[in-house]
Amino acid sequence: MLLICGTVPWTDLPITRGEAKFEGDNLLIENTETPCTQGTAALVSAACVTARHFKNSPPHVILVGDNGNGKGSRLLYDYLIKNLPAISPDILLMHYILPVMGLMKKVCEAAAKCKNKPIMIADASSMYAAKAAGLAPFFDIFTPDLCEMAFLADPDAIHPAYISHHLFSAEIARAQELITAAYRQKSAAKTLIVKGAIDHIVQNGKIIFTLSEPDIPALEAIGGTGDTISGMVGSFIDAGFSHHAAAVAALKANRRAGEYAQASPATKIRQIIAAIPKILNHN
Amino acid sequence: MLFGSKNKNKFAGGGLVLFSAVDEAIAAEKVLKAEDYEVKLVAPPPRLRKGCDLALEINLVEAAGVERLFQQKKARFVEILPLKGAGELLDVVKIKDFDNACMVKAGNMKLTFDKKTGVILNISGGGCPDIPFLHISMLDKKLTEVSRPKENGYTLCALMLDRAFTEALEIFSRGGS
Repeated sequence: MLLICGTVPWTDLPITRGEAKFEGDNLLIENTETPCTQGTAALVSAACVTARHFKNSPPHVILVGDNGNGKGSRLLYDYLIKNLPAISPDILLMHYILPVMGLMKKVCEAAAKCKNKPIMIADASSMYAAKAAGLAPFFDIFTPDLCEMAFLADPDAIHPAYISHHLFSAEIARAQELITAAYRQKSAAKTLIVKGAIDHIVQNGKIIFTLSEPDIPALEAIGGTGDTISGMVGSFIDAGFSHHAAAVAALKANRRAGEYAQASPATKIRQIIAAIPKILNHN
Repeated sequence: MLFGSKNKNKFAGGGLVLFSAVDEAIAAEKVLKAEDYEVKLVAPPPRLRKGCDLALEINLVEAAGVERLFQQKKARFVEILPLKGAGELLDVVKIKDFDNACMVKAGNMKLTFDKKTGVILNISGGGCPDIPFLHISMLDKKLTEVSRPKENGYTLCALMLDRAFTEALEIFSRGGS
């Protein structure tokens, strides 16, 4: 079972657990409608359409409302700490949540108590918390963009807002340097899917795959195009793909969905997600 | 030894609020605790000390919300700093031109607006939970008609989005170039 955990920006949403469905432009979680916007909603939506392509069970989700004040995030941490061993998912994909190092550590301790340790994937602030708390090696996959790659490479930063200027400026020309630094200080998961103008797949410190075509520069501007990659990776792995094959398939599908949707800087993420099934059906 | 700390419940937030007097630190602690922020009174390391011998450790990620609350409650403080690493927020801004649109990138946050109308077309990047909230409240509205992200956000991602927003506003006021 693929379990996706994160926050959505509706403060009145309590902890909500169930199967996710993507219908029209909306996500349905146990009959609760959640508009498909940038963030965890986009990630879950992409995971849903990918699972449907493989005729797999929809992803299981635990969502909570949080506008950033952290109240919902703390409820989600507490829920996972208490319930994760009983749920024992095959894959745990953690996404938007207020980064709290101590609570992330407890979630990882709870994951270690599952019947089998889940495949651990972290994106967005869950990745920030895991790195800042020194838990990166416990994770199987991180999905940083280039700025976040610089954050993983900075030994002291606990958030990308405080990375050293020279690392932020490094960007793509020094991707390998950032990757080497991140692995040296144990700030990287086993596999990194580095999203950018050139996507990189890294395993244990080595770049093993790059992708730059089709080149759709507008994808960088569209909120949620990183989230869709992470969601697809979770669903591909749930369908039996290796981590490497899932990463390759998700990166290719995302670019092609952007191409199919004729992405411009004004394109919304739901248009990209709507294109994903068409791309998957042609491969 | 990933989980091997002896002090399992010890709070480590990575951020420090500095004060010029002890009573300010104690008052600020009360303000934050009343709003359920996790904080701890600590002695600041000598290299960061800028006034009194008492500081507050906070979750650095929550700096935007903490600073706004201090302003609302008129709690006095000197500065919020990370305990380790770069002492200042990343202030490198990059611009990408898309014919009719302009993308401003500040740290991990990107804001894209229509050069002619000033309408916010997209917000991407980031990872903290206030970003989807800010995204839906700002999207498809004009730069000149929305609040600054730091007025409604709580986290460092909101501060980086605020940096991108102010730069975008300046570019738009110059005619989009």
